[in-house]
Amino acid sequence: MKEISELKFPEELRYAEDHEWAKAQGDTVVIGISDYAQDQLGDVVFVELPQVGDTFAQGDEFGTVESVKAVSELYMPVGGEIVAVNTALEDAPELVNNEPYTGGWMVEVKVQNAGELDALMTRDAYLTLLKG
Amino acid sequence: MKTILTTPLNAWHASHGGQMVEFGGWDMPIQYAKGIVQEHLLTRKEAGLFDVSHMGRFVFRGDDTLAFLQHVLTNNAAALEPGESQYTLIPNEQGGAIDDAYLYRFGADEYLLVVNAANRDQDWRHLQARLTKFSMVEMIDQTDTLSMISLQGPMSKQIMLSLIESGQLPEPMRNRLGQVRINGTDVKIARTGYTGEPICFELFVDRDAVLDIWEAVIAQEAHPIGLGARDTLRLEAGLPLYGHELGQDPEGKEIPLFASSLARFAVSISDLKGDFIGRKALEKQFKAFKRIVDHDFSLIADLPRRIMAVALTEKGIARAGHPVFREGKLVGHMTSGTMVPCWEYEGAGIASQRTGAQGRRAIGLALLNSDLYEGDVLEVEIRGKRTRAVIVPYHLRSEAPPFARAIPWDRIQVEKAVAIDKQTFRKVETLLAKTIANTSWRQAACVNLIPSEQTPSSMTRLLSIMDPVGRYAEHKPVAAFSDADVFYYQGTEFIAEVETLLAAELVQFLGCVDVEARLVSGQMANMALFSALVDYINRSDRKSEQRRIRKVMNNHIIKGGHLSAQPMGALRDFVARDPQTEKPAVVNFPVLEHNPYKIDVDASQALVAEHRPELIILGKSMTIHTEPVAAMRRMVDAQGLDCVIMYDMAHVLGLVGPHFQEPFKEGADIVTGSTHKTYFGTQRGIIGSNYAETDPRHELWTAIQRRAFPGSVSNHHLGTLLGLLLAAYEMNHFKDTYQQNVLANAKAFARALSDCGMEVAGDPDNDYTETHQVILNVGYAKGPELAQRLEENNIIVNYQAAPQEEGFTASGSLRMGVQEMTRFGMGVRDFQALAQLVCDVVKKNQSVKDQVVAFRQKFLEMQYCFKEQQFEEHMQKLHRFLR
Repeated sequence: MKEISELKFPEELRYAEDHEWAKAQGDTVVIGISDYAQDQLGDVVFVELPQVGDTFAQGDEFGTVESVKAVSELYMPVGGEIVAVNTALEDAPELVNNEPYTGGWMVEVKVQNAGELDALMTRDAYLTLLKG
Repeated sequence: MKTILTTPLNAWHASHGGQMVEFGGWDMPIQYAKGIVQEHLLTRKEAGLFDVSHMGRFVFRGDDTLAFLQHVLTNNAAALEPGESQYTLIPNEQGGAIDDAYLYRFGADEYLLVVNAANRDQDWRHLQARLTKFSMVEMIDQTDTLSMISLQGPMSKQIMLSLIESGQLPEPMRNRLGQVRINGTDVKIARTGYTGEPICFELFVDRDAVLDIWEAVIAQEAHPIGLGARDTLRLEAGLPLYGHELGQDPEGKEIPLFASSLARFAVSISDLKGDFIGRKALEKQFKAFKRIVDHDFSLIADLPRRIMAVALTEKGIARAGHPVFREGKLVGHMTSGTMVPCWEYEGAGIASQRTGAQGRRAIGLALLNSDLYEGDVLEVEIRGKRTRAVIVPYHLRSEAPPFARAIPWDRIQVEKAVAIDKQTFRKVETLLAKTIANTSWRQAACVNLIPSEQTPSSMTRLLSIMDPVGRYAEHKPVAAFSDADVFYYQGTEFIAEVETLLAAELVQFLGCVDVEARLVSGQMANMALFSALVDYINRSDRKSEQRRIRKVMNNHIIKGGHLSAQPMGALRDFVARDPQTEKPAVVNFPVLEHNPYKIDVDASQALVAEHRPELIILGKSMTIHTEPVAAMRRMVDAQGLDCVIMYDMAHVLGLVGPHFQEPFKEGADIVTGSTHKTYFGTQRGIIGSNYAETDPRHELWTAIQRRAFPGSVSNHHLGTLLGLLLAAYEMNHFKDTYQQNVLANAKAFARALSDCGMEVAGDPDNDYTETHQVILNVGYAKGPELAQRLEENNIIVNYQAAPQEEGFTASGSLRMGVQEMTRFGMGVRDFQALAQLVCDVVKKNQSVKDQVVAFRQKFLEMQYCFKEQQFEEHMQKLHRFLR
């Protein structure tokens, strides 16, 4: 596993305690897992995602990400309706490892409460959490 | 507080990207920087190096050691010769596993038991408690002093060879052991592993030297592999892991050892094991297992569930503990499971190649109701969701070294695509056209160097399809008629005469008393002989179960022995089981260290004395030397053994005579052979016997006749029998020059290949060969590819594994014979020219097809045979029958 300093945490994203990231994109929010989370998991070999149209509240489990050794639940950093899922992860789950913030995105959500996004951690706050 | 243990390689792991975790009380790398997926794939493609020093290593010495091991382990430790190892289990009284283990016997006086790291303390206490009943056993924990690393994967052999300073790798068979020196250190090597890789080594080395050896192996480009990939590799190979497939099941119940097929093979109920721990329970499981195999579930309570390989056919990952259902009913649980990566292959059969693409598949092992079978569809409950799966026979196959190949659930068997033409006329036309193309290609455009083939002369071929071809001529001697042969069918006078004449020609050729010529292949000749020997050795007792041949001495298949003399081939049903090894009672001739194609006669002496074989089988299919018939005769006579000396001359039958070898003059009792390799004939088999009527063993000859008919054949292919008579006339007439030219050509060919810079097997001092065969070494596992490349250039050879290779797919040799092309008129200079063409293909990868076709045009007319023109009137009449 890498040192925190070797990992990337883009400034423009918001982060949740369960290591998801969220990024505002017009009136939707794109969600994935952080570089730290993928590094902890190791090789991602399977990602299970919800259907477009499903609705979740903030903190709800919306899927799982599996490495060779373990299963991890994915939790909604913001509530809302799923408007898109990253189907590329079906055949290429390694995108979560290789491009956690771009090709490895997971779902796109139409948010119910914009305030939930603003309440997530900034990069600096997340780094403070990671460094404990 | 318990301190965490470290291996001598701990600092290396931590400083080379190892992610260290606690495992079984040890600080071990779960993976390195490349990650589990790549580590798995690199082991399968290249070579992986594992630190397994955390496993427990117990050494046992002393007079009672064997008795102790027989008592506390499930396998038959008495079956281990020095230099061998075996998978075994430490059983409890209930027939479950306290642990699984590997038992190594590097030397005669010491056994090494390797156990799981997490169970080491518990195993130690259990074994120590049992030790009190055995006074003369010293048990030492060498886990700290003797380190252990494991090198697995297709490149591992080259890596080992590049490192060895002195000593030899163990023989290319699983579980064989050896000792070498690397970096000035003694290293014990086992051909064992936990990955399913067919090329695999485990190395035992002193703690102080292990870092040196580890780094030397890494410097040869082995990849360090962590425990994560070790688990996915063993899972893919279907190997049990204690705590998953052994020990307690997900419901907390003891898993019976017979639930796991690998563990089952490691249980022996030999008498030599006495009343070992768990014996009664294991015998019950065994009984239940036998019934279950027969689809009889009356004893299923003794073996309610078995470990089976399961593959998901829908998306998801099944993991240990997940419940498994069939048609809505709970039938068991997953014991292991994850997503495992694999290399993709394309192409069919031995020519299939890795594409470079990587796939992944969700596979696992499950403990399922014993009444389920391969192909049964299941549902695995993954976090509340039922996902479809299927029971498969295996996830991986290792029998095509140097690679282990993943077998996905939907590719367990590939259907052969045959396009069947619906129009009958067109089908016939296609068949005829293809036969014409094939015959003209093989007969006029190719150079055939397969040493087991021959083209019969045109007259021989013509006779083979004349009238007797469709007939029967069963016959046997009847004592009531003074042993006159009585035929059961009318119209057989001619074929009766042919058979008598053929036997007479063959008796003359071989120089023996009798020949049985009714067998239709060399392999059948051997089976008839083995069957006759069983018949003969039971002649004084026809009421008891007929005992098998007590012990056989032969050439090992990897040292050139032929299938027809092996338990896996014709010998299977005729040789006894050795009660000590629980394997067929066969002992192999030792071979010379510098020439594995030659029997070590001196070393054979002690083996013959120790094993007192009832049958000695000389002869092989990779044969470049005469066989030591006379030496064996002297040995058998000197030791006063009741032993039949048989020479399977399949390959060299046509060479019998003063230029090669005269087996009966040298003391053989029996010669078997096929008549279509160096001999001129149609494809048949014969048995020659040298027991005169006054010989007490003459009864073996009469048994041979009975086991030919009615034992082996009813219809003995009368067409080719007729053809063979003409071939026998040809052989007896032309053999002197033919045999001399074959032997001269083989030597010239071998010398010329060597002069081209290629590696020819054998002794250069006698021009590499004393037979028709020449063995060319082309590089490890390169045989299949180069044989194919030669075929594309119209040179037909066959690839063969040399004695140091692990199997036919790892073949590094091409086996060639000069007999057929000699018969088509090629001489010494021609074989020298051919050697250059072979070299152009093999070494330079040039295309020489046109040159080969032109070359063959010079050698279309068969020699050493009678010409049709000499018998023109008769031949015309015979040809007319075909219209």
